[in-house]
Amino acid sequence: MTDTVTITIDGQDFEVPKGMNLVDAAKLHGIGIPVFCYHPKLDPVGMCRMCLVELGNVAIDRTTGAPELDEQGNPVIRWFPKLQTACTQTVSQGMVLRTTSDMVVEGRENILEFLLTSHPLDCPVCDKGGECPLQNLTMAYGPGESRFIYDDKIRLAKHVPLGKLIYLDRERCIQCARCTRFCDEIVGDDVLAFHERGRRLQIVTISDPPFDTKFSGNTTDICPVGALTTTDFRFGARPWELTEVSTICPYCPVGCNLNASTRMDREFGGKAMIKRIMPRQNERVNEIWICDKGRFGHHHSRHEERLLAPLMRNKSGELVEVEWPAVYKAIAKQLKAHGDQAGFVGDSTLSNEDLWELRRLAELSGGSPRLGLWPATMSGGDVVAQVGVGSETRLQDLGPGSVILVMASDFEEEAPIWWLQVKQAADRGAKVVVANARPTKLDRYASAVIHYRYDEAVGVLNSFTAPLLSGDGQLGQGNGWGALQSDLQNAEVTHADTANLLASAENLVIFLGSEGLTLEQHAELMQAAANLLIVSGHVGRPNNGLIPVWPGANVQGAWDMGFSAEATADLLANPPALWVIGGADVAGEDIRMATALEQAEFVVVTAQFMTPTAAHADIVLPRQSFAERAGTYTNGLRRVQRFYPAQGPIGDALPDWKIFAHVSAQMGGPRPPVAAGTIFRDIAQRVERYIGMDYTRLAWFEPQFPDVGGDDLYYGGTAYSNYGGLGLQWPAEAEAEQPQFSVRPVRTAAPQTDGLTLVPVWVLFDRGHLFEKSELMHHRMPQPYAAFNPDDAARLGLTDGDRVTLAVEGHELTVTAQVGDDNPAGAVLLPRRLSGDATLSTPAACTVQKIESMQKVEG
Amino acid sequence: MLAEKYADRIQKIFAKYPDRRSGIMDLLYLAQEEYGWLTEQALEEVAALCDVDPTQAHSIAGFYTMYSEKPKGKYWLQVCTDLPCALRGADDFYAALCEFLGVEDGGTTEDGLFTVEQVMCLAACDKAPMLQCNFHYHENLDMEKMKAQIEQWRAEAAQPEQPEDERP
Ligand code: SF4
Ligand code: SF4
Ligand code: FES
Ligand code: FES
Repeated sequence: MTDTVTITIDGQDFEVPKGMNLVDAAKLHGIGIPVFCYHPKLDPVGMCRMCLVELGNVAIDRTTGAPELDEQGNPVIRWFPKLQTACTQTVSQGMVLRTTSDMVVEGRENILEFLLTSHPLDCPVCDKGGECPLQNLTMAYGPGESRFIYDDKIRLAKHVPLGKLIYLDRERCIQCARCTRFCDEIVGDDVLAFHERGRRLQIVTISDPPFDTKFSGNTTDICPVGALTTTDFRFGARPWELTEVSTICPYCPVGCNLNASTRMDREFGGKAMIKRIMPRQNERVNEIWICDKGRFGHHHSRHEERLLAPLMRNKSGELVEVEWPAVYKAIAKQLKAHGDQAGFVGDSTLSNEDLWELRRLAELSGGSPRLGLWPATMSGGDVVAQVGVGSETRLQDLGPGSVILVMASDFEEEAPIWWLQVKQAADRGAKVVVANARPTKLDRYASAVIHYRYDEAVGVLNSFTAPLLSGDGQLGQGNGWGALQSDLQNAEVTHADTANLLASAENLVIFLGSEGLTLEQHAELMQAAANLLIVSGHVGRPNNGLIPVWPGANVQGAWDMGFSAEATADLLANPPALWVIGGADVAGEDIRMATALEQAEFVVVTAQFMTPTAAHADIVLPRQSFAERAGTYTNGLRRVQRFYPAQGPIGDALPDWKIFAHVSAQMGGPRPPVAAGTIFRDIAQRVERYIGMDYTRLAWFEPQFPDVGGDDLYYGGTAYSNYGGLGLQWPAEAEAEQPQFSVRPVRTAAPQTDGLTLVPVWVLFDRGHLFEKSELMHHRMPQPYAAFNPDDAARLGLTDGDRVTLAVEGHELTVTAQVGDDNPAGAVLLPRRLSGDATLSTPAACTVQKIESMQKVEG
Repeated sequence: MLAEKYADRIQKIFAKYPDRRSGIMDLLYLAQEEYGWLTEQALEEVAALCDVDPTQAHSIAGFYTMYSEKPKGKYWLQVCTDLPCALRGADDFYAALCEFLGVEDGGTTEDGLFTVEQVMCLAACDKAPMLQCNFHYHENLDMEKMKAQIEQWRAEAAQPEQPEDERP
């Protein structure tokens, strides 16, 4: 093979991939070269000198260009006179390495002796102690004794807050620059840097706000010492007391693999308690990164306001505690009484098993089940099933030749780790096209940026598709081809350069959100994306196809279990008399839902907290958080992933599936299953997409490379090895041997009228009823606002900071106006889940009234 | 604000480099010249001009010893006390200078005129004792010469209109 070379390490020959550096190459064959500054996800810098090796190359005869041979006919090796840093050397044919010679051993000893001259050695109180690469490598390779004078030790500050989430201990820092390079290379926010030099070199920031990335927690993982720690875990536990439990982030469609580090804790009644959340390595999903929402958003799972017992309204209308059997009976009675007059809504934090049991309950209730998913902001589950990205797509494989189109999404806010991966793909040479109604942070890394009016979204995609159809139509197959062709015949190609870029792509991935679109409009946008992908042939293979930026962790699973956003819309249009709501705070988030529930006859809710939805309900059922139970989530790349019970139970709370199954039993259904795994078996038999999956298969894993979480000594505390399973992806229809494609002309939205449209948008650090319980994140949650374009603001007589009333569909919302050039004209951007007040799921016309004489509001 | 006051010079600095961030060191000198030392505001201004994060400007200012992020007297006297200079009496000279000005090592005189500091080799070992004042060399010094020079600086500083020819 031409893409490997042979190198010799300590007398043994190995085949290694071309272009790899020596540290990784050795590691590939189980040989450890100790490192501090090197990290496989970062460019090498050669700063710490820990990776020193003896290095020799095959001598080349300059006159002939052939290798020089000795008398025996063996190639002559030219050794570098001094030790070389393995992390900055790339393998080449015939290279020879010594990693255990006396010279190397002495080199390592000396480096460690230097590194420790000013190290405080406060391991006994250091959070990293126990999984610290500096400890590990000192034990393995250190000199045991220091010749430096203790009194000459440099003393530096030990409690330096870098923002409110991360603490820096400057004495512990070994100046490896992993944290600064993470900020610079991976995140693109240059907010950490070194100051001074030599032994006084120290990490600083004077940025404002300081260290305000959405990914700050990752620096504490990759820091090879305890210099960076999180306020969440600082002094919380010792790593060796912790039991690692595999779990999945419940917040966004990325589906980051997490490790919950748990310990039996006095604070939690002696039960297992989550002490911190760490990334779990899955190179197909989140690699080794997670965002701060996933890392610090676990506090809801044991918040003091958790509901502990079932509640039912008594005769005088108060919610009072009752026993489980009583509520099961009561719900069954109501369901029987209402027959097909029942509607069901499942939240995006419900597991597939929960949703499945909810569906079974709905099926038992009669009529054709009405299964709505929440949040109901995006359409197109069928489109994803058809042209979703090919199985085994890895975002980190996207580079030169790949085009990534991100559309209708404030990407970093909606799917932070995907944002990070797309940004890095751009750095590697992939072309990123961002199409949005307003500037977003991804624009910085884009090869092309298109800013459209919300109503033009479909037109933008059509203008990419049209030129592809005008050729000789060699792709012309499948249903609807002719219709599409004639429909787009005269389509205006508004972005010709970008259309060319897309047409020349080897790989094309489209990330599609739904900002500014109603459900009907979004269905058209999804189809427009499908048209583009099918027409251009970017379907049915890895690294090509559609990735929906779903509004939650298990929205994909909900579609798979038969729930849909359209069903939610239909429930709103034709409200049922009886609502069964799983997990979602529909009334707290959406004014239309709040009205619908007020008018309902009977409402049953499973909830972790007394949300506005629960407060409306006639029966409130305490549900377990994701931390206390097992289940599966299906992420935006259709990967079904398992999570395991990490934390001890709270009160009488039960997993949603158990609650629904018990009610089903009351309705004459089968006996309730005993475990989530049993339900999954049922799913795998009845849901075609999940055929062949089971809990054992989902738990498969293989060594991840680069291995940063293994048992080696030098990436300790970074990310954990994935023993919980890498999950399985179900294939899109386009991957079938003889795929059936259908394209169709799409309707463009009616042009925006003169009035203002209220456009709900997402922010990552929101006040959703779960994340809000992480009090340490409150400082990162924006104050509620509505954003206006300067022209609109001028017309309305508004200035930044004015209080305004937004009237929409007969409801009034009061918020603070924010005026900025980036906001699109004709729209009022209103972040969802920022205030305690319900807002909207999808856009609607609104009017704005400035509140003239504002009385001083308390608080 | 640097941007308005030195628009021409800034223009010339940027013209020398292919991208803006490369101009940062020149601009830091300019800012130091303007403000006497690199205040946080100065760092922010320079960072904004070069389109980098202020933390990066801070980092560069911290690495190079010819930038100062602490208040400095009008005359910044950096005396070399490295080994070769010490052999020619730089140590004693420095001590005498401190005593004459009534300051500690590294200190600034009360009138804000002079800051003294010991530095490493300035590559003028053969003309020790020596010092650099605002990056200009004064060589073969003794206290007699020094006192005369200090008088001259004091006189110069008393005339506010005089151009600051001692600054780079
Ligand atoms: S704080 Fe940690 S990651 Fe950053 S330079 Fe120091 S040792 Fe390295
Ligand atoms: S990127 Fe999404 S899935 Fe990953 S940790 Fe953040 S919120 Fe969770
Ligand atoms: S120099 Fe190679 S790991 Fe630091
Ligand atoms: S040692 Fe003082 S100038 Fe060289």
